[in-house]
Amino acid sequence: MDYRAQIGIRFITRRRGSLIAASLAVAIAILVVQVNSVIFQGLYDAIVRDQINYRFGHVYITRQEDYITKSDFMLVNWLERIPYVQAAAPRIDSAASINATIDGKIIRDYSVPVIGVDPVLDKEASTMYQTVGAGGQYVTYRDSVVLGAIVDRDLGFPQVGDNVKLKFKDQFGNDVLRRLTIVGITATAGSVGLDNSVIMNIDTLREILNRPHQTQSILVRLNDPTKDTDVKDLFLAAFPSSADKFKAQTIEESAEQTLSGFRSGIALINLVGYFGMMSSAFAVVTIQMMQVTSKTRDIGVMRAIGAKRKDVLLVFIFQGMVIGAIGAGLGTVMGVTYTAYAKETHMTFQGSLPLEVKYNWTSILQTDIMAFVLAVIASIYPAYKATRLEPVEAMRVG
Amino acid sequence: MADYVLEVKNIDKVYGQGETEVYALRNLSFSVKRGEFMLIVGSSGSGKSTLLNMIGLLDRPTRGKVIIDGVDTSELNDNELSTFRNTKLGFIFQFSNLLSDLTVLENVTLPRKIQGTVQNSADEAKTLLKTVGLETQMHKFGNQISGGQAQRVAITRALIAKPAVVLADEPTGNLDSVSAETTVQLLKSLNRKLYQTFIIVTHDRHQFGEVDKVVTIKDGRILKEEMEANLA
Repeated sequence: MDYRAQIGIRFITRRRGSLIAASLAVAIAILVVQVNSVIFQGLYDAIVRDQINYRFGHVYITRQEDYITKSDFMLVNWLERIPYVQAAAPRIDSAASINATIDGKIIRDYSVPVIGVDPVLDKEASTMYQTVGAGGQYVTYRDSVVLGAIVDRDLGFPQVGDNVKLKFKDQFGNDVLRRLTIVGITATAGSVGLDNSVIMNIDTLREILNRPHQTQSILVRLNDPTKDTDVKDLFLAAFPSSADKFKAQTIEESAEQTLSGFRSGIALINLVGYFGMMSSAFAVVTIQMMQVTSKTRDIGVMRAIGAKRKDVLLVFIFQGMVIGAIGAGLGTVMGVTYTAYAKETHMTFQGSLPLEVKYNWTSILQTDIMAFVLAVIASIYPAYKATRLEPVEAMRVG
Repeated sequence: MADYVLEVKNIDKVYGQGETEVYALRNLSFSVKRGEFMLIVGSSGSGKSTLLNMIGLLDRPTRGKVIIDGVDTSELNDNELSTFRNTKLGFIFQFSNLLSDLTVLENVTLPRKIQGTVQNSADEAKTLLKTVGLETQMHKFGNQISGGQAQRVAITRALIAKPAVVLADEPTGNLDSVSAETTVQLLKSLNRKLYQTFIIVTHDRHQFGEVDKVVTIKDGRILKEEMEANLA
């Protein structure tokens, strides 16, 4: 082993307090970045997951400025012939004011979003049906409705089998009142506001809105999500926008409005993490300066017996490498342990949104390398100060 | 022509400037032959340690030259001085100054590692450590041995790179009388055995008995220079 590395390693490993303090500073900085990643990247991924599962699919097809008038049956069949497509399902979104009578008391009307789904196709293309809690079922029947948990609470907790009244406006502006039977209540919030929504049969909603055979959107679920752009392009090639005015979007495009805000938030949080890393670098500088002070006499002796200034520099750079390596190793263990904990405990955001926890080895490696490099960079100034010591002075004051 | 290993020519060392100017050394000149055992003596503050720092290339004189093994060291830059110290000079300090985080063996081989001539250095170090009676202590750390033992390790470290001159600054100053006597005898026997030049700074001239040369310093000047014939 190079003698400068040997001395650097000995200097720091035989000062356990300094080594532990400096390594912990690096490790904690890595842990902060990892925790940020688990929570905020997990939250972001959970939102993407729910947007795909509940709202947009991997590819989301709409018609510019109007409803789709082509047969949804034909469009779904066409899409499902593409090998990458697992399933496709039509949807119509609307809004209605809702009330319920509980124990003879009418709970006041208020407006809710309504999602019209095809109960058969939707089960293949979306996992929204899985949000229905125990004892409930999906909107298989024409006059059935699934209430979001918050809607159910606001209506005084009507049960499965009770009725609710919804007042819609059809496409001509006429009020349409419908009594629907509750067949399920959502138990999972998801990240797309399902708790505040009402799910009903698409054919019933078409009839209410006076839009027979019309569809607002088609969500397409892929068996290979990386092929979303291919499917989008295939669809738009088959149905040129000039004729049909179709609009096809990948999840990044369809959920852009929701995701862009989160992306900015994550960038900000990551910045906080990297500031933490800078703080750890200052801690390394401080500890290394203390090391230089405590080793002044040794530096003087080394210089006296022939070590050059660059040799002294390398001793402390090697020290920084040891601190960086141990800190990075420790930080990785702590970060991975936290990630494993988050994964095993199915960590949720605000108790309702399960985070999408992944072991992001690329990110872990990047963070480790950055922490290691920062520890080395943080050692440069103390190492430089060590090189400026004159041997006689160093041996006298050391 | 005499084989001088060290020539000190008209050196001054001045600290401060103008009114605060202080001469630590003033117009000093002497020379040392290869294999000589020489003492630099003087009272505290006489300038003997400053002189040793000049000879050891740890500090530069304000004026004058230090020529070691025929090389005018005033022409050398910082890196060349480091290399020169490593290859031509051996140092023994008052407080042994071993690196406490290295073992005895690692301390002794350090000059060779700095030099980049590590081949056989461990074996040579072991032989030298055996010569000074420390073969059983070689794997202990610098702070795990006694002061006398540490000073013997320091002597071994000074010799490992086969320097032209070994410089010792009060090598017995921090030792008890028994260790001090052992150290003196060891230095003198190594001088005879290895034909190694030793220049020793001490305030206790009598501790060393018979030597080749004694230079007495007072107030930064040479008070007297005695050769072997006069010393006897």
